[in-house]
Amino acid sequence: MTNFDIMVIAGPLLIIVVDLFAYWFFGRLGKRSVGKGNKFQPFTGGEQDIAPRGTYSSELFVFATLFMVAEAFVLLLSASFASQSYFYPLLFLAGGSGVILIVTWWLMIVGGMRP
Amino acid sequence: MDWLQIVEILVFPGLTFFVWVGFIFDWLDRKTQARMQGRRGPILAGPYGFFQPVADFFKLTSKEEIIPEIADRFVFLLGPPLFFAAPAIGTIFIPVLGAAAIVSNDYDLLFILFILAFTALMATIIGYAAGGRWSIIAIGRLVVQYTGYEVPLVVALVTPALLARSLSIGGIVAAQQNVWFIVLAPISFVVFIISALAELEKPPFDIPSAKTEIVGGWMTEFSGRPLAYIKLTKDLSYAFLSALAVSLFLGGPLGPVLFADPTLQSVLYFIYWIIKLFAIGFLIFVIKTALARVRIDQAARLFWMVITPLSLIQLGVIMILGIHGW
Repeated sequence: MTNFDIMVIAGPLLIIVVDLFAYWFFGRLGKRSVGKGNKFQPFTGGEQDIAPRGTYSSELFVFATLFMVAEAFVLLLSASFASQSYFYPLLFLAGGSGVILIVTWWLMIVGGMRP
Repeated sequence: MDWLQIVEILVFPGLTFFVWVGFIFDWLDRKTQARMQGRRGPILAGPYGFFQPVADFFKLTSKEEIIPEIADRFVFLLGPPLFFAAPAIGTIFIPVLGAAAIVSNDYDLLFILFILAFTALMATIIGYAAGGRWSIIAIGRLVVQYTGYEVPLVVALVTPALLARSLSIGGIVAAQQNVWFIVLAPISFVVFIISALAELEKPPFDIPSAKTEIVGGWMTEFSGRPLAYIKLTKDLSYAFLSALAVSLFLGGPLGPVLFADPTLQSVLYFIYWIIKLFAIGFLIFVIKTALARVRIDQAARLFWMVITPLSLIQLGVIMILGIHGW
């Protein structure tokens, strides 16, 4: 692997690490509240009934989200063909598959898409 | 990777620099909007309120962050920094001091397209993780808008790549040494600016975060540090998309060569780049202030019925001219 390849991978990774560190650091400044009660209910706009969580299901939302995921995957896959070695195709395939798996898993867990 | 490269990535012309450009964009946006509406805008923090966006950021980070009872806590907390990471990574692929960026490869434009898709995806996910009714309504609007503007945005970005015969941003910038692509593909530039407004959720496409309709949109449930990060990401995206427009349509930092010394010429390139960047930024400030919000169905119709065909026509013209060796 050349210095050029190292920069392409290490540059974004460095930014993610610094980003997460800064996020953790700023988290030390303010107070974090987790709990139950009125304060922790989602904003209702003054209405009395509070929508339950996890029952929302919209075909448009699910298909549009899958459109995003598929598009990201296609972009990654198409980028891989411009590569001169096996490294980037494998990296992009792994990245794209990871994005699809994580998003689908999360949507199934939280309730946007039912198994 | 040596220390100089780390400084370039994290400080200048990388992340910290672009964050400051984002803060300045925010300030200029508020000042421009205020002037057009007969107000003065920010005046208290620093000269002419210059440090108001910075003050707002630190104020928010020091406020209490409340995690709603029904929120998916892990995604709610981890989403905002990942949302920030997308445009932050994109900034290191933007050439600022010459035709070459800090990090580049032969197909980094496709990586930029992935970053743009990932930004919208993260906004959807963290909005859905919050779980409030306004968030759910907003992300429904967000994904409808996204499916509308994404196709013309991609076509508008591919057109300069076709003109330059390169998928590298550095290659596209270098190909504009003699003539900017805004001259050869003006429709693509207009389509890019319109799609960028939708990507940034700026008027007339601020439908997913319409304050007078759905409170704070998909950000309604966020407070404190996560909200500060989301707002910072929006400022950074503002700067990033403007910088992308400069690179793809206005020749990036390239301009007349006046110095033989490469260092002095780099400074000159930087000045050219800054002028172009703020020209694009100012164009967006004025458009977003002058126009009123459209409905989501109007936005979807506009993107699918007008903007997408326009972008395809421009692409077709470029391809036909390319086949005939123009």
